[in-house]
Amino acid sequence: MSGRKNLLTQSDPSFKPMLRSLALELVIYGPLVTLYFLLIFAFARDLLVSIYHEMPVVYSIVALLMIVGQGVLLEALTSWLLRKIGLRH
Amino acid sequence: MEFPIAGVVINPFILALTGFFVGVLGGFFGVGGGFLAGPLMFWVGVPINFVVGTDLAHMTGKSIVSARTHRALGHVDFRLAGLMIIGTIPGVELGAQLIERLKDVGNVEEVVGISYVVILTAIGIFTAWESFRALRVKRTDQLDVHEVVGVDSLIPRSRSFRIPPLIRLPVSGMEEVCVWAIILGGLVTGLLAGLLGVGGGFLRMPLMVYVLGIPTHVAVGTDLFEIVISAGFGTITHALKGNVDVLIALTMHTGAAIGAQIGANATRYFSGPAIRMLFSILPIIAAVLVLLKLQV
Repeated sequence: MSGRKNLLTQSDPSFKPMLRSLALELVIYGPLVTLYFLLIFAFARDLLVSIYHEMPVVYSIVALLMIVGQGVLLEALTSWLLRKIGLRH
Repeated sequence: MEFPIAGVVINPFILALTGFFVGVLGGFFGVGGGFLAGPLMFWVGVPINFVVGTDLAHMTGKSIVSARTHRALGHVDFRLAGLMIIGTIPGVELGAQLIERLKDVGNVEEVVGISYVVILTAIGIFTAWESFRALRVKRTDQLDVHEVVGVDSLIPRSRSFRIPPLIRLPVSGMEEVCVWAIILGGLVTGLLAGLLGVGGGFLRMPLMVYVLGIPTHVAVGTDLFEIVISAGFGTITHALKGNVDVLIALTMHTGAAIGAQIGANATRYFSGPAIRMLFSILPIIAAVLVLLKLQV
């Protein structure tokens, strides 16, 4: 048994679809995320800077909510896209 | 692009790429990756006072993505994570207090740095040796099991610890385990994490596998869930001190979100011993980074 085969569990038949799904994910997800990101920068940047300097307690809560929100949103977006494409059930 | 909170100009694609790289590692190994992300962030131009807090913020978002993916794969034991957190949080606080005491005594940076290198090297060598043994056992005995642990003498000892209450953890495949053993595990790894100033994923993952006997895949997923809570807590405390640039964290997280999914999904194609064999490289890299920082 070769070293590589020993590291990998089995030659899983779902390996190729996974690579395809990731490639599609990058193609669809990349522009969407860039757009979302530019919107955040355009609309929230100045507001965030002002609360960072004036209201640290509010800033700490907003920072956590934003990162948690982005985590949930991006994961949900990717899962939804993959289901639509038919690569995840 | 200008990041006005930290007052720096950094190419956002480099930040996203850094996040992507750390995200793949985090999703695959169940670690926050702070030991690697910190130096990388500093290297791309994030001011040192923003590195730790901003990294914790990005780690929170990234771990949510990985933990949700692992949850879908059935790799998160919420009961186990909840119990470990009970020990981890006071442990981290104790470690941080200990550091303050050590500061009064003398040269804390070198003492902590050298302890860090010793612990990391020991974990790296032990994990590499154990996983090599496990992979060999798997190959020679043709074991039809996904999970083989090369050194399992610690597991029966932790399970012989039977002070009530005992709990059943079906996701981790444990019939009865002492609640105190899990909390103590969280406390010890939390103490070390607080003492060394790290998230502690690379300490908890081996503890769960070698001491508690949790399957590697569940240890990875559960650790990620625990990171969401502990890094979220760290984000709040650092943000209150003005050490979090949320715009940098959001930028890094856009890359990390993709990387974390890739890393988490990739665990399906590797056996437990193989994940641990690859994992053993991480503490060694971290030890080298600390040695470079100490200029030994």
